[in-house]
Amino acid sequence: MKRLLKWFAGILAVLLLAAFGVLCYMAGSPKDAYGMVRYALPHMRRGTLQVGSDAPDVRLVALDGIDRFHIRERLGRRPLVLAFGSFT
Amino acid sequence: MGDIVQIYNDYKDHADFLTVYVREAHPTDEWQMKSNVKDDVCYAQPKTLEQRVAIAKDFTARYKFPLPFGIDDMSNAADNAYAAWPERLYIIDETGHIVYRGGLGPFHYKPAEVRQWLAAKYGAVKQGAQTAAASASRASAPASTSSEGTTPLSVPAKSEK
Repeated sequence: MKRLLKWFAGILAVLLLAAFGVLCYMAGSPKDAYGMVRYALPHMRRGTLQVGSDAPDVRLVALDGIDRFHIRERLGRRPLVLAFGSFT
Repeated sequence: MGDIVQIYNDYKDHADFLTVYVREAHPTDEWQMKSNVKDDVCYAQPKTLEQRVAIAKDFTARYKFPLPFGIDDMSNAADNAYAAWPERLYIIDETGHIVYRGGLGPFHYKPAEVRQWLAAKYGAVKQGAQTAAASASRASAPASTSSEGTTPLSVPAKSEK
C-alpha cells in the first residue's frame, strides 16, 4: 500500500510538472505562467453566444466619460463589427 | 488591434465598427508583460470608471485610434454579455443577430476572419492609398511586441499583405 502511494505521488508530481512546463511554454516564463493562472484563466470564458444568437444589448460609456449609449443604437442598415479589447 | 484598424479603413464604407474597451488585460498590479514596459503601456487595473475612461482616452490619443469607441462600465456588463475579455471580435447583422463570433484572444483572436467575412459579403478591398495614409499617421506609435500574443487594443497597425 505504501509503495502504491509513492507511485501515485510520483505520477502526480510528474503530471503537475508537465502541466507547469506547458503553461510556462504558453505564457513565456514561470512568472507569466503564474500570472496566467492567477489573473487570466479565472476571467477567460468561451461564453454561450453562438452565430445566430441575438446580440446582447449593453449600455456603454462614451469616451467623454459622461454620455451613455447602447450597442444596439449603433445597429443600422449595415453589419456592425464589435472589437473588444484593452490597452495593455 | 492594428489589423482591425486596417479592416476599418478598408470596409468602413460597407460596415459599422465599434470598439469596446474592457478591463485591462495586463495591468501593473496583476499580470504585467515585458512588452507593456517596453512600450510604456503601464497602468494599474482601474478601480473607478474615471480611471478606466482616462486610460481609454490615453489609448485613443496615443494611437490616433479612428474607430468609434465605447467603454465597458465598472460592472463589466459588456465583457460578461459577450465573454469578451481579454479580446474578442464579433459581427452583428442588421437584424441584431450574431453572424460572426471570433475566438477568445489572444490565441484565437483573428481579425483576418473578420476581413474574410466582409470580403465574402462586399468583395475583397485592395488596401489602397487611404489605408497607406492611415498607416503613415500611426507611424509615430511605438513598435509592438505582439509576439507575446497578449496585445489587445495596444497593437499598432501592421501590414496584412
